[in-house]
Amino acid sequence: MRHALTAVLERNSTFTADFVTEPYEAGWAAEARWFVRTLALEGDNPGLRLTAQISPDGLHWCDDDESAEQVATEPGLVSMRVREFGHWLRLRATLTGGDPKAKVLIYLALKS
Amino acid sequence: MSVDTHVPADDLRRALIAADPKLSKFNPLPRILAFDEFNTGTHGWCELIGNHDGHGNLDTVDVHMRDFRPPQLSSCDFFDIGTHAAMSGNYALKVATRPVTGHTAVAIRRLTMARRGVVQFETYFTYKSEAATAESSLGNSFGDIEWDGNLHPSEAQFGAFTVATDLCDGEGIRYHCVARYQNTDLDHNFTRRWMYPVVPEPTPRENLHNQENLSPTEDFTAPDPEDWRPLDEEPQFLCYNEVPTKVNWHYLRWQFDTRTRTNIELQVNDRIMDMRQVPVPAYPDKYDGLENLLNFYVSVRTHSPVRNFLFLDSALISVDW
Repeated sequence: MRHALTAVLERNSTFTADFVTEPYEAGWAAEARWFVRTLALEGDNPGLRLTAQISPDGLHWCDDDESAEQVATEPGLVSMRVREFGHWLRLRATLTGGDPKAKVLIYLALKS
Repeated sequence: MSVDTHVPADDLRRALIAADPKLSKFNPLPRILAFDEFNTGTHGWCELIGNHDGHGNLDTVDVHMRDFRPPQLSSCDFFDIGTHAAMSGNYALKVATRPVTGHTAVAIRRLTMARRGVVQFETYFTYKSEAATAESSLGNSFGDIEWDGNLHPSEAQFGAFTVATDLCDGEGIRYHCVARYQNTDLDHNFTRRWMYPVVPEPTPRENLHNQENLSPTEDFTAPDPEDWRPLDEEPQFLCYNEVPTKVNWHYLRWQFDTRTRTNIELQVNDRIMDMRQVPVPAYPDKYDGLENLLNFYVSVRTHSPVRNFLFLDSALISVDW
């Protein structure tokens, strides 16, 4: 049977500036999927741009060019997959618009 | 109550354990409830979280109990050598704080008791601070340490780790047996003491109308530093091994008795500490819905703005019933 593990990286957290999630080590996993539940998104034409990042050591990061960026413009659920990522994952979030404010739950679903 | 075994049967049991490469590094009581080699998964060790309301609204979780971080299955990867790996295989359970002074990460395992008696928790563990980068470095001097080629400031950036329980017996009496290794005090000076709290952990019910007094970095086990006492005045030096990227596994064996609701003893490598006289404060109110609760948790708490990690290679829970 394959291994599966879901981690909650942010829980009802509110952000008013760009942020990255805590590093998550998952060398055992062959596939990963981010789920971002935007509970609230406020501001002038607000947007939440989500980019998967990868790292060999949990310290130094680059964007994962293989996965497609997602943009949330209203409350709801968006998802993006990451594969062949090396051993560390995090999500980089960019807030756009005027005085943006986002409240999110961020899940990382991993499978061997 | 101990299991009634004849001496030859006990000898055979011990011989079988000694001959098993996986078990022979442990000293289990007669019945093994759980044997968790994290090379094969998380085995039920998961993030602890406070309680939420009937609407599923996570805003109602106590602020100091909503960010205990998900445990990771770590191959102990480091920037200097790549994969270090664990003791029994590639993967260890990693419990990691945020890089925020006072932040605590907690992993919990939830069981119940089929009988009251002696319970033993064993683990092979190590603890590290996160390696620095040019951007995150706090310099070559930190707390009591000045980098001299051997001693490394990383060691002084590690706060404390805790092994603990949440227990409730059939009479509704709830209590916690707790042991904490405090590496440094809040001023980053080495203390290296084993500690215990003299108050029970504040519960969500107690905090329900006290939210404004809680901080996200509250020490949830016992918030007031004055409520922690050293087991004795003897520091225990562990093998941090100088830099944040070398992993040496330590043996820990801890016993308590759910008949008497007391600790028995704590062994960490070559030191055995008698814990029979350590007070175990019970909650004044009786609890419903926690019948025979037998929870174990491990936590790690940073006293510096550096991520602190507790790694478990494996854990074994055994009982005498």
